[in-house]
Amino acid sequence: MEIKTTEYKRAAVVSVSGRVDSATSGELETALKALIGKGTRNIVLDLSAVDFLSSSGLRVMVTTRKALKEAGGEVVIAQPSDRVRETLELAGLDVLFPSHPTREAAVASF
Amino acid sequence: MTLHRETFPAYLRTIELVCRFVGKASDEAGFDQRTRYGCQLAVGEACENIIKHGYGGEGRGNILVTTESSAGEVSVELRDTAPPFNPAGKPPNLDLDPENPQVGGVGLVIIHRVMDEIYYSRDGDCNCLTLRKKNRLSI
Repeated sequence: MEIKTTEYKRAAVVSVSGRVDSATSGELETALKALIGKGTRNIVLDLSAVDFLSSSGLRVMVTTRKALKEAGGEVVIAQPSDRVRETLELAGLDVLFPSHPTREAAVASF
Repeated sequence: MTLHRETFPAYLRTIELVCRFVGKASDEAGFDQRTRYGCQLAVGEACENIIKHGYGGEGRGNILVTTESSAGEVSVELRDTAPPFNPAGKPPNLDLDPENPQVGGVGLVIIHRVMDEIYYSRDGDCNCLTLRKKNRLSI
């Protein structure tokens, strides 16, 4: 798994690639917590290059959403891969995360 | 029917290898990509439960994985030597509350939504879980 973060005025874009599962989700959690810790309130998760998303990855997404909501912010998804969409739908959690076709559209949604 | 069997050490990082193993069986069954991924996801969740909750941590045993595939059907058997534990016990509710999901139960929801048949038994010193997929994934 690789994580790349780009910060814009309105939001931070966190691009994730590879496999997000129980072996790797801790790294994603650390990166997201660091962003929230320094005051970021809106996060775009670019999940276009994620080829596997397990419930451990979902847990990180759900806890991040909760932390941001409590701080008055939000997390949205940009360009979810088919695999990401399928995991979200199977878990019934797709309704939690607004999805945008491009990173630009996702950033502009804030 | 094609049968494959392999032993994997119970580490979280080896779940990826189990998923590849299941992917191969899914290909032999002729599953589409969505169904193939669903099987990998469900088996991966079961393995995670075995490692975390059955063995109580990484590196405390093995998982013996046996796949049987035929046209349109895959069966995956997971055997471990952890204390008696069903890694795929049915969650009380398959419909999670989206606003307050019980994050620990998401894996079980996925297993039960993907697989068509799930059997658990205790066989001597082994937990034996069989996950069977017969139909195209519809969700």
